[in-house]
Amino acid sequence: MLIEILQQTINGLAIGGVYVLIALGLTTVFGILGIAHFAHGSVSMSGGYLTYFLVTAQGLPLLAAIPAALAAGFLLGVLVEMLAYRPVRHANHINAFIVALGLTMMVEGINLQLFGHEQVVIPTGLNRVFRLGGITVPELRLYVIIAAILLVVAMMIFVERTKTGQAIRAVAENRDAAILMGVNVKTIPLIVFGMSTALGVAAGIMVGALFAIAPGIGEGLVVKGFAVLILGGLGSFPGAILGGTVLGITESIAAGFISSGYKDVIAFVVMIIVLLIRPQGLLGRAP
Amino acid sequence: MKRSLSFLPWLLALIVLAMLPELLPVKYYLHLSILALIWVIVAQGQNLIQGFTGYVSIVQAGFMGIGAYGSALLSLNLQWPLWATVAMAPVITALFALLTGYPSLRVKGHYFAIVTLAFNLIIVIVLVHYSELTKGEAGISNIPKPWGGSREAFYYLALVLASALTLLAALIARSRVGEILLAIRQNEDLVAAVGIAAWKYKLFAFVVSAMYAGLGGALYAHFQGFINPEIFGVAQSLDAILAVILGGAGTIAGPAIGAFLVVFLPELLRFADSFRLILYGLILVLATIFMPIGIVGIARSGFARMTGRGGQHGG
Repeated sequence: MLIEILQQTINGLAIGGVYVLIALGLTTVFGILGIAHFAHGSVSMSGGYLTYFLVTAQGLPLLAAIPAALAAGFLLGVLVEMLAYRPVRHANHINAFIVALGLTMMVEGINLQLFGHEQVVIPTGLNRVFRLGGITVPELRLYVIIAAILLVVAMMIFVERTKTGQAIRAVAENRDAAILMGVNVKTIPLIVFGMSTALGVAAGIMVGALFAIAPGIGEGLVVKGFAVLILGGLGSFPGAILGGTVLGITESIAAGFISSGYKDVIAFVVMIIVLLIRPQGLLGRAP
Repeated sequence: MKRSLSFLPWLLALIVLAMLPELLPVKYYLHLSILALIWVIVAQGQNLIQGFTGYVSIVQAGFMGIGAYGSALLSLNLQWPLWATVAMAPVITALFALLTGYPSLRVKGHYFAIVTLAFNLIIVIVLVHYSELTKGEAGISNIPKPWGGSREAFYYLALVLASALTLLAALIARSRVGEILLAIRQNEDLVAAVGIAAWKYKLFAFVVSAMYAGLGGALYAHFQGFINPEIFGVAQSLDAILAVILGGAGTIAGPAIGAFLVVFLPELLRFADSFRLILYGLILVLATIFMPIGIVGIARSGFARMTGRGGQHGG
């Protein structure tokens, strides 16, 4: 029983890492621009698809394909901000949300057009399995967990320690004051979108290597990402990290012990309960 | 605010719609028109919560599913007569809406949108996995159709119901309740400050909008004769939102026009086939950026400019 719980916790950590990366992108965009970026999942999956294409069709080694896909993700994020969200910046918030829905359809359509209906798995060649007591840890899952931790730490250092990071936090805290202090509020959204999308692409690659990428996966993932935001508190970094990890482990344990079919229901029920008891999320500030 | 309802365009639209089965050259268009009329009902419901109250709910298709499955199962398992099952559908949906509306309406804005979206996902997951009752992903077929499946008869049924429910939505919008809903959209804190229990009115709008969806779902089930969980997914809830936005949120004519658009637009884009999704998304993005007030809003300001009247013209 204890072994089984530990095993499911390890499994849950890998998928939790994916949720954390998705949620960090969503929470940064939301905290700074107030946009519920619904297309985030589908855009992230484009990066996963691109990695698959570079590895299988172009014969690139995985370690070269991943940075290329992350860079492409950054550019894609910049484009999305400039072309889709900037025109509705000053409109009603719901308009940005509708734009996000339209964007989701477009990106899903482009993914379908380029990569077809069949699911794809990014080949990694990482097939070893480590054993620790009674627990088995596939090599790939371990690397995914490590990569997720490294990316989160890198993001934290960027936001906490660099000048650009300070500017981003300043805009999130008080937009008008940031403008008065000379922060360029035109480039900040571009950087935020680029960075968030690159993190999302990392999550997309992980999904493609751990499970598979297929039409609709991105939409499911973005909803989970929002659930994480609600768990942790909208706009809160530590909240996204805690929420993503908790959701990944909860889902994994629920799938192992209760029913894999209803694991998503359990995730959403947890979210709704948190919302009822603590509407600002586990680590969010009281409104 | 006094609003004058001009009956002439409505009467004209109703006459055209009543003659439509005679006018349509292709029978498939009649099929689409029936679907569009069902969507008019669904979109009028969505407009009550989204357009008037300002709460974007993403569970409208889920509620359609509850109405559709409720009605289909009552008629197949308990052999209830069709009219009784269709009448029960909004009642069953209202119960679910009360249960889900109470927790979700405690939060606002994006939170509310995401919580309702989660409810839609839960509904679909339960429809897929509770297969003893719902037959899972395979869906339920052989749902009884009225009048031996006559399309013309069903068209007039849908037309009568869509017209009646549009009128009901207009009456709600012009009543005191409707005015309070509008006030909630504009400034909810102020509504609470003058001593009105805003949550009661929000719950009312949410439950009524769900009842519209439940009835629309039941009509869909008995029109198509087949339902499965996929039909009631989040994508269809987004269609309901689109119908309201494209037509014009917070107007009465808007959702009706928008409903026809979301049903016919994908069909018109069929020549593009695999590009359809991309084009549909692009239209949505461009429409939101360049005409956020919807078709009715644009028509209204165009009409005002033409007649030289700057004022708002209701309808």
